[in-house]
Amino acid sequence: MSNRRSRVSEEEINRLVSKLQSLLPETRQRGAGRASAAKLLKETCNYIRSLNRDVDDLSDRLSAIMATMDSSSAEAEMVRSLLRS
Amino acid sequence: MQATKSFEQAFLKQMLLGIQLSAVSHGSGSLQERKSAIKLSADVAMAVARGSKKWTRGLIASLSKEEHNRSFLQFVLGKEFERPAKICHSSWKIPRSKNIVRRSLRFLSKRKSNIRAPNSSVLAGTLVEKRTQVLKRLVPGGQSMDAFSLLDETLDYATCLRAQVDVMQKLMTTLEASKHRADSDAQRPKEKFHLLAMVGSWYSTRKGLRKRLSKRPKLTL
Repeated sequence: MSNRRSRVSEEEINRLVSKLQSLLPETRQRGAGRASAAKLLKETCNYIRSLNRDVDDLSDRLSAIMATMDSSSAEAEMVRSLLRS
Repeated sequence: MQATKSFEQAFLKQMLLGIQLSAVSHGSGSLQERKSAIKLSADVAMAVARGSKKWTRGLIASLSKEEHNRSFLQFVLGKEFERPAKICHSSWKIPRSKNIVRRSLRFLSKRKSNIRAPNSSVLAGTLVEKRTQVLKRLVPGGQSMDAFSLLDETLDYATCLRAQVDVMQKLMTTLEASKHRADSDAQRPKEKFHLLAMVGSWYSTRKGLRKRLSKRPKLTL
């Protein structure tokens, strides 16, 4: 398994790196080739941390609003939004 | 992986099941308990909707380390739940991947630093290594990944996280709108009662009484 991994081509790494760059909100604005590996890693970590914070915050808000609704109407609304999509 | 609509749908469906399940097992708990239940439902839903990836297995493994999550995971995953436990004990993988990480990192930093000043390659290596360690902690199951897998899994994980946030946000908006409708509906029953009172008073007048009697001669008082 390790042998296969060590023969990863530069092309594959390039592809991954550019995909990651296009995913990140900050590097998307700047031109390609300006982000170093260190910068890319830093912004990736920041992005993941920020998304985790968003999930945490949304969990708080969802539990708060569900507490004010009765569970059946909250669930009914979720089913409805599922059917709508 | 592009966050597809089918992923978002699968995620929402799994989350709904998870929330229903938590409500059944916990009933009405504290706000903190409810929040944890929702977060757990969201994370499990994300892993289940994505399927088998290193990070999904890592996520389930880290969630199952908490005792209070186990019964929920057992319900949702069933037989699947037993397997991920083995990943935790695969520490033998780490020595092997260390060399691959060093090689790949040097490869990455050299490739990038050739564009810039040649002196920065050594410094770039250390900083890149440090930040790679941080990323490994952030991505579930990242500790036992080589650099290429880490990048690949990170891309996938970040895409799914983004979708998770988007769906939860949409759900939040929907529930708020529904609650707002329900609140404004609650105003109307007062009008209904008012109407009934009017009808009642109409019946109680003589005129109303006579009218009623004439319409229904069989009615005895």
